[in-house]
Amino acid sequence: MAQEPENGKKIPLFISRSHILTDVNKTGSWRFVRPIYREKTAPCSTACPAGQDIPRIEMFFNQNQFEDALNTILFENPFPSVCGRVCFHPCERVCNRAGLDEPVAVHDLERFIGDAAARGELKPGLKKLPAKGKTVCIIGAGPAGMAAGYFLSRMGYSCDIYEARSEPGGILRWGIPRYRLPETVLTFEIDRIKQYGLKISCNTPVTHDFVEDAKNRYQAVFIACGHGRSLKMNIPGEHMADDGLDYLNRLRKGDTAPSTTTAAVIGGGNTAIDVARSLVRQGTKTTLIYRRQKQDMPAFKEEVEMAVEEGVTIMELFSPVKIEKHDEEFVISLQKMKTAGMETDRGRSRVIPDGGPGHQFRTLKIFTAIGAEPADPWLSPLQKTDATLDLSHCTLADSDPPLLYGGDLTNAIQSVPDAVASGKQAAMAIDIFFKQGRHAITDRLNSCRVGNGPALSMARYMGEKQRNRHEDVVSFEHINLDYFPRESRAETKTLSLDDRVRSFDEIKTTLTIDRALKESRRCFNCGICNACDNCRIFCPEIAVTLHAGERQIDLDYCKGCGICVVECPRSAMELQEEG
Amino acid sequence: MAGYNIPDTDYMVSGHVGCPGCGATIAMKFALKAMGEKTMVVIPACCWGVIAGPYPQSSLKVPILQTAFATAGATASGLRAALDMKGDSETTVMAWAGDGGTFDIGIQALSGAVERNEDFIYVCYDNEAYMNTGVQRSSATPFGSRTTTTPGKGWKKNRKKNMVEILAAHRIPYAATASIAYPEDMIRKFDKARRMKGGTRFIHVFATCPTGWRIPSEMSVKIARLAVQSNVFPLYEVENGVKYTINVEGSRPVADYFKIQGRFKHLTDEDFEKIQNMVDKDWELLLRKTSYFDRLT
Repeated sequence: MAQEPENGKKIPLFISRSHILTDVNKTGSWRFVRPIYREKTAPCSTACPAGQDIPRIEMFFNQNQFEDALNTILFENPFPSVCGRVCFHPCERVCNRAGLDEPVAVHDLERFIGDAAARGELKPGLKKLPAKGKTVCIIGAGPAGMAAGYFLSRMGYSCDIYEARSEPGGILRWGIPRYRLPETVLTFEIDRIKQYGLKISCNTPVTHDFVEDAKNRYQAVFIACGHGRSLKMNIPGEHMADDGLDYLNRLRKGDTAPSTTTAAVIGGGNTAIDVARSLVRQGTKTTLIYRRQKQDMPAFKEEVEMAVEEGVTIMELFSPVKIEKHDEEFVISLQKMKTAGMETDRGRSRVIPDGGPGHQFRTLKIFTAIGAEPADPWLSPLQKTDATLDLSHCTLADSDPPLLYGGDLTNAIQSVPDAVASGKQAAMAIDIFFKQGRHAITDRLNSCRVGNGPALSMARYMGEKQRNRHEDVVSFEHINLDYFPRESRAETKTLSLDDRVRSFDEIKTTLTIDRALKESRRCFNCGICNACDNCRIFCPEIAVTLHAGERQIDLDYCKGCGICVVECPRSAMELQEEG
Repeated sequence: MAGYNIPDTDYMVSGHVGCPGCGATIAMKFALKAMGEKTMVVIPACCWGVIAGPYPQSSLKVPILQTAFATAGATASGLRAALDMKGDSETTVMAWAGDGGTFDIGIQALSGAVERNEDFIYVCYDNEAYMNTGVQRSSATPFGSRTTTTPGKGWKKNRKKNMVEILAAHRIPYAATASIAYPEDMIRKFDKARRMKGGTRFIHVFATCPTGWRIPSEMSVKIARLAVQSNVFPLYEVENGVKYTINVEGSRPVADYFKIQGRFKHLTDEDFEKIQNMVDKDWELLLRKTSYFDRLT
């Protein structure tokens, strides 16, 4: 470059010019810590008995990848619409979002996705593995048996399911009232399972001899027929009381003959609450008698609260000692109880008689619902040996071919997701048995655990990409709250109290699409990468690259500043020392 | 890219020699994403004089003119004039100076250029001291900070100069603050400035310096965000010196921002109270200006 000064003489003006870029400097050598992408487990997934990958479901959902969301659920649980309604959602109790405002309404979102599939708007896309040439006999078409059949069929096993009643569904069909679980919802999800080709023989009660014979005819047997016999109180006059579960069965079958004007329900579990609330809907003034404190009821708290709202009177700390009949009326003699310390193992108060005078309660009808037990002794391993495997959700007897017991027969918590967990665990155990032998079952199952909890991941078992769920569970402190403004939780519309007590219509509605999307955005997506791109945006070194949707750290240039890790809102990255 | 609206192309390259976690490099990265390739950068003496590359290297894919410490405003004016002579009205001149080259040494050339309403964007990436020479205090160093020239009990007792207000008082078309913790907001402001041709646009970018502020490098963006969340560094825009727009309203106590930085670790709760008071008053003044000029215009 040259300039022409006034005197016309040219003066050279030299300006040095750079001619290479700095990318010849491999600044990666400065680094002493390196960022890595490492997905962790969300607390909700760990708490879910069915081990669902909840943060990924919500992520797909809020990215409008609805079918991916559905398939992510179906990988672990064949019953989204059912569980979205009747599960006690332990996921929400541990949701990290509660530390900021309120837990994410996981169950409402699950229900939304399940219902969208039921309306035909989403198509499941889970493939079946090639046929294995082995057939498994499943006894009981309740949630555990159906789940086992579902997972086994997907893995390529043929399944024959034997069901005593006229239709499959077990407790879902016969024990849960319509206002909590409409029949159409259940039927749709059972039909979807049937599409995997399993054979269900209804009206086929099974005997011990049948099981012994099945061991010869099948390569494996899974018994999940539930608790067939109601527990007894062993008090005089008990035979005059009706069985609560029978009453629910009759209602499900369409027997809606009005009951009586007053009734007493004895018990404190979900069945007792279901019976009481059903009676209210038939116009009966209902009193629930429970021998412990109301707060110690095994029934879900929300259900108890709704029962009270609907007019069920709860008499807590009263234990029935005698039932007598006076003309048309029953008289229940009651012993008042009082609390006396805590039970060590169950976290509830121990109760003893308070020593005061007896009470009498008059009513026109009595229902008992104090629990149930297996109907026959052969519904658990007859002999336990060293080879008997007691797993978290099923028991594998010492027999060849493998004989497993599951569902309510073995589960500590008798819930629908626990039944699904049982079916899944049984399916995995059977598959491992055939592939690697009995000795490998425990270790292999442990390798499929979700986070640090007992739940098992079928995705992990079947080696799905990106589903390697880490044992580290994300806690609230790991979330970068700068990225999450407070937002209130979705409220579902519910029927008015008047409408509730007048009909068996479902109480809660499904969320609208807009509200569901908004709710899914509340999810922190703890521990998983949702492609928010913060790591790439903030990198001062331009050392985060994106190829075909995959983010990578360019270690040639990364100086290890760690900004990407801190700015990751959801703890999907971490720093590792070089060395 | 959930939630962001950020151009994908970068005009800064890897291998630059900025410290790990350098906020000034993040600032340049965002600025050029908005400015695009038709940009010429004028850099006086400052950290970026080094980061832009030791000869013969360059860390930018756009032309850089390195110039003397006090002359960013004058050089940018000259470069603009040269481009105009060549008939190039498309290229934007962007002066890119540190707080020393803006608040202290460069203010004369800057004020002169701004008074002439020269057609360029002047960016001050503010890391609140002379960092590449060893952390000496500048007039951008905040009250309470220790530097190597305000060490021990002699920590800085003067307020930080309010540069945006000085520039706004020149009645230039656009003066704004921006932060590396708010990429979308920052890129929007650079894009807006790029489109507003014909006068001086001034952008004051808050750029964390992990080395000089004695903070862990990974906290660089987080701390910049805290400065905004606590109203220590409010994000706002001033058009024509009178039309104020506040972009983010903070609500966190200033101690959240101060307590995690080594340069402030000697401060007591009493000091924090005093600083909180100063910040609250500044914020209130900003709000009052906003509404006062609102009524006026």
